[in-house]
Amino acid sequence: MICAEVDTCVQTYVDGELAGVDREVVERHLVGCPACAGRVRLEARFKAAVRAHLPRPEVPLAFRLRIEKSLATQSIAPLRWPWLSYPRLVPAAAALVLLVAITGTVRESQSGLLQQAQRSYRAEMPMDITGSDCGSIASWFRGRVDFSMHAPALGGGATCQGGRLVNVGERPAAYLIYRMQTGHRVAFLVFDPRDQSFEAPERRVVNGREIYVEAGPGISTATYRDRGLGYVVTSDIDEDALTRLVTTSFGR
Amino acid sequence: MKRRPLQSDFEREALPHLGALYAAALRMTRNEKDAEDLVQDALLRAYRFFDTFQAGTNCKAWLFRILTNVFCNRYREREREQVVLSEAESSPANLEQFLAGTGADARDTETALLGQMVSADVEKALAAVPSDFRMAVILADLEDFSYKEIAEIMDCPAGTVMSRLFRGRKILQGLLRDYAVEQGIIRDPAAVPSRDADAPVDLAAYRRRRDRGEAS
Repeated sequence: MICAEVDTCVQTYVDGELAGVDREVVERHLVGCPACAGRVRLEARFKAAVRAHLPRPEVPLAFRLRIEKSLATQSIAPLRWPWLSYPRLVPAAAALVLLVAITGTVRESQSGLLQQAQRSYRAEMPMDITGSDCGSIASWFRGRVDFSMHAPALGGGATCQGGRLVNVGERPAAYLIYRMQTGHRVAFLVFDPRDQSFEAPERRVVNGREIYVEAGPGISTATYRDRGLGYVVTSDIDEDALTRLVTTSFGR
Repeated sequence: MKRRPLQSDFEREALPHLGALYAAALRMTRNEKDAEDLVQDALLRAYRFFDTFQAGTNCKAWLFRILTNVFCNRYREREREQVVLSEAESSPANLEQFLAGTGADARDTETALLGQMVSADVEKALAAVPSDFRMAVILADLEDFSYKEIAEIMDCPAGTVMSRLFRGRKILQGLLRDYAVEQGIIRDPAAVPSRDADAPVDLAAYRRRRDRGEAS
């Protein structure tokens, strides 16, 4: 290992995140290289010094009391599991479980992908790249995802907001955020559809193309294939408006 | 059947982390009122969903994930105008000079620059680091989360954690150096060539070389 290579992983080493053979190789190098050993010491001291200078601030007592008081006004799992509070609902719950089991065979295979899309949408996680130029954002993904990336062209005055590199299964995927003129946020998860199931809660066919739609609480999701890629589109508009929106992006 | 969690369970598992949550919230929102609102929202949300928390798993990481989600949902808009610092602005500090101080004391590690700066300076510098990077630094350096835990909290791949952390620290070093120069604690290090390449962490390249038998 040469000094330049050690330099790229000094922080990882100082953070205790290098393991196995990588760690051994770095440590062997450090024994014979005072310059790199000094660099490791400096990084470790910087980390320790920052921590020493940023003590935990005291939680204001009034705030602590406010938290405790507000907990007392709430309950754990409100309304989500009513049969726990109302045993007479148990038969109804059992019937529901049966129903879910029957429909679950359709839903199960897709739930991971949909859940990921819905979770990412709700979380509004930081973007790796921001900007309104869809072309630049698509370019940023080239080389980072292993497919040719084009930002879907949306009608209705929608503009790009940013993009983030994510994973779908074991493969890198692109996550793009648009903002519509109406203020609604639309997220596109673009991925390599190999190994991904497209079975659906609700299958629609628009212009000869299959779109799988799910209306969730407050958000809806549309899943489809276009030119060899898989898409999950999530937005806080209803499923009909979402279907119309994604249809505008086909073949443009 | 799993016992339904009680308020006392939540108080025992979650409330010990109130100080850590408040500290992180204060450094992310940069003001006390927003920090209190953020922590309160996150804790109430955690409380309502406490039945989904798996007892025995890492409650602190679970709470930080919720805090991060609430922060992103609520404060992200305000952060958007804050453009990520350009490469030129975030050029790495000369860490050696930065930590070693200046003049006759240059070799005396006890007079390290950070020793001469007050906490307020370091707080101010951290507050100026863009939020994605600041979050990574707070989680790793102040709260001792592992890269894997940070990846889960920030909902991103571990490689992204490493690059955010790397850049976050470099930006922080750069800002601290600027303050130190302003205050005359160190000489302007612009004249001193930096040997610290701004390359992202790339162990993969080394491993490829190693596997081909090119690396020693």
